[in-house]
Amino acid sequence: MSDNEPFIGIDLGTTNSVVATVIDGVPRVIASRTGQTLTPSVVAVARNGKRLVGHMAKRQAITNAENTAYAAKRLIGRRWGSPEVEDARKVLPYELVPGPEGNDIRAMLGGRAFAIPEVSALVLAELRADAEAFFGRRVTKAVITVPAYFNDGQRKATKDAGRIAGLEVVRIINEPTSAALAYGFGKQMEKKVAVFDLGGGTFDVSILDVGKSVYDVIAVGGDTYLGGEDFDRRVIDWLVFSFAQEHQGIDVRQDKMALQRLRDAAERAKIELSEVRGSAIHLPFLASGPEGKAALHLDRQLSREKLEDLTQDLVDRTISVADRTLRDAGIRPAQVGEVLLVGGMTRMPRVQQAVKAYFGREPSRGVHPEEVVALGAAIQAHALLSPQRGKEVLLLDVTPQNLGILVVGGYFATIIPRNTTVPTSQSHLFTTVQDGQTSVRIAVLQGASEKAVENELLGEFVLDGIRSARRGEVEIEVTFDISADGIVGVSARDSATGTRQSITVTATSGLTETEMRRILEENLDEQLTRRQVGDFERLRDRTREVIDEIERLAPAVKDALARSRFGKDAVVRAEEVVARARAAIAAQDLQQMIGVEEQLDRALQLFKGLASGSAPGSPGGGDGKGA
Amino acid sequence: MATVAELLDQGVRAYTRGDSAEAERLWLQALDLDPHNERVRAYLRQVRGEKPGAPPAAAPPAPFAPSPWDAGPEASATVVVVEEGSGIDLGAVDEKSDIRPLVADQRPPARPPPAGDVATWMEGARELFALGDFSGSLEMIERILRLDPTHAEARAYLRQNEATLVAMYESKLGNLHTRPRLAIHPEEVLWLNLDHRAGFLLAQIDGSVSYDDLFALSGLPRLDTARILASLVAEGVIR
Repeated sequence: MSDNEPFIGIDLGTTNSVVATVIDGVPRVIASRTGQTLTPSVVAVARNGKRLVGHMAKRQAITNAENTAYAAKRLIGRRWGSPEVEDARKVLPYELVPGPEGNDIRAMLGGRAFAIPEVSALVLAELRADAEAFFGRRVTKAVITVPAYFNDGQRKATKDAGRIAGLEVVRIINEPTSAALAYGFGKQMEKKVAVFDLGGGTFDVSILDVGKSVYDVIAVGGDTYLGGEDFDRRVIDWLVFSFAQEHQGIDVRQDKMALQRLRDAAERAKIELSEVRGSAIHLPFLASGPEGKAALHLDRQLSREKLEDLTQDLVDRTISVADRTLRDAGIRPAQVGEVLLVGGMTRMPRVQQAVKAYFGREPSRGVHPEEVVALGAAIQAHALLSPQRGKEVLLLDVTPQNLGILVVGGYFATIIPRNTTVPTSQSHLFTTVQDGQTSVRIAVLQGASEKAVENELLGEFVLDGIRSARRGEVEIEVTFDISADGIVGVSARDSATGTRQSITVTATSGLTETEMRRILEENLDEQLTRRQVGDFERLRDRTREVIDEIERLAPAVKDALARSRFGKDAVVRAEEVVARARAAIAAQDLQQMIGVEEQLDRALQLFKGLASGSAPGSPGGGDGKGA
Repeated sequence: MATVAELLDQGVRAYTRGDSAEAERLWLQALDLDPHNERVRAYLRQVRGEKPGAPPAAAPPAPFAPSPWDAGPEASATVVVVEEGSGIDLGAVDEKSDIRPLVADQRPPARPPPAGDVATWMEGARELFALGDFSGSLEMIERILRLDPTHAEARAYLRQNEATLVAMYESKLGNLHTRPRLAIHPEEVLWLNLDHRAGFLLAQIDGSVSYDDLFALSGLPRLDTARILASLVAEGVIR
């Protein structure tokens, strides 16, 4: 590994996230500090106030559902009141509220409102900490992936999340593009690539036109509420139903602890069944017995065939969505040159069979589907940042969606098409639609639809003082300038009079700069508090060890003192000190613990000496005072 | 040259990895750049004024008696307004205490609490507490609160009993950063006599989570979690 600052690529997923890097030219996933390659994109505030991220948060996601945020990616960069947010509110168990400006979203966790980029930042910070543990030094530069359909606001919000997590996001790239990069496509090939991405919570299908280092996402489709969790739910329902049949109709879902265990077990069994044909599910003491009887166990065998029966309609849905996406784009399955599988659910043999049957070709299998996107991001980070970079494909920053203005009839006139490399500047000519018209309203939009209403309004302004003339006679030049930082400047000019008006549009994540600063400062405070809590816990544990040692030695010390004329009060004093130490632990009072620490140590030293017979005053002590 | 924000950040990083001297140096640099920065001053006060750290923000400030064995708890100064019919709001007593709702049936009593019973139970609770039988004392307190959720002394004893019991159970677990493991064969688990809550906690113990983690993810009050874990340790189910 070089001495240069390390860099990482991050797949910030709806359900799970992955971090990767490139070492000696080879991309590789960085395992977490607990050895796992996937980190659940879950954040929680536990009942005891502790912030939990990743696996730990997921393990209590049902028992503490109202304080556990997951699927933040569905909300990031969205506006309060938008259909996507309203849909999410129907299914998410944690409370969402509008931000202070009223147009972005906050998640209420443990009584505190978290901006959505803050939630994502906690996941990113966890991945960053894993990478720092791996490299043994600071990591600040990252490439992060987002779905191809993310607009500027969502990308900006993802960048903000990176900034909150202490990362400089050097590039945001599209997930399907990243997957194609990981496969090394785009160097010598020119073909259409389908990326079939069935993750934990969402399904995306993208068609890329790949060739000569250009990755053009030409079609995107999907279902934002279809993924591995739906498959898990089918297994859970099967388990619940069979348990109820066996135990007089007991519905174990009523108990959150039981439901949490069922979900964990269902997911584990589902994953196992991609490799083996049968999986045993043992959940001892799952539920209370009726009328105070002994707790009940759940013991089932799930076969791969049964899992396939339970989930066949979900697999069929993925194919329908893929078919609709291809049809909308005017592409036949046979025109697709490669099919890439992305997401853990694509490891299910039945899914792979369905994909093969639909596209009429074997999907590519060279790269692990859960890691492929992060690996592509790492490759891109390497191409951008590493001095040892080779001839990797260097993606250029492009506009993710069409930019344009509203025109008569409610249509959207594109001025800068998506995938245009930035910085760029382009102009189009427009004209008036009424006789004697002296002003025009310029509404700046972003999106893929021909209908203006289906696109996102970025801003608007009025150009006044244009020459009064018959309709169609006045020429108005509208110019879009996009800087390298993604700032969009839009101007309109009456060609005849030179009258000009303009606005600047910056993608917003919903967080103001002031709020961003506040969050960054709170993060610093949080780190300090954590360190202090760590100090408290370390001292608490040490104090307990000393108390245990004193109590272990106490009988020997009492024996020794029974034969001595001295130190009769040593045990009483030690007991007082121990009692004070216990009270300090119970009160979680660090200062009190520090106060008693020295006395506790002295008591221990004295006890050790007395027990071994070498302390002053001990029967066998060396000062001649012994009995 | 580093900005104040960068120096602050670098200082926190140094501090969190235990290098207080480096943290102080960086924050002093930041103070040179911005002498009026209150945040920098606050951090410097923290790094200078504590060895090894100030009390955690989460720690309750309540001063404890030198030893809970020596004297009974002080009467609670917390005033809890309980609306009629709303039951006891144990969370309002002390947000940080992790007090569990002990009383399942929180409906107001149908008749006024029998003062004689309450006084007897309170006396019993005091005596048991003095004898070190905190579980017994807690049982008495539960009876009182079932009849009179506003009983101030009972509430104070409730808190003290719980804190003491939690400390006792936790001390049986040892270092709370330890990651417990199953000490018996997985097949033998079925032969244990557990309830579903213990079953849940046992299911979480896979060698990857510490006792501290278990307290966070159990979803149970700290006392219940500590009691179950201490019992699993005592029975040799986990180690």
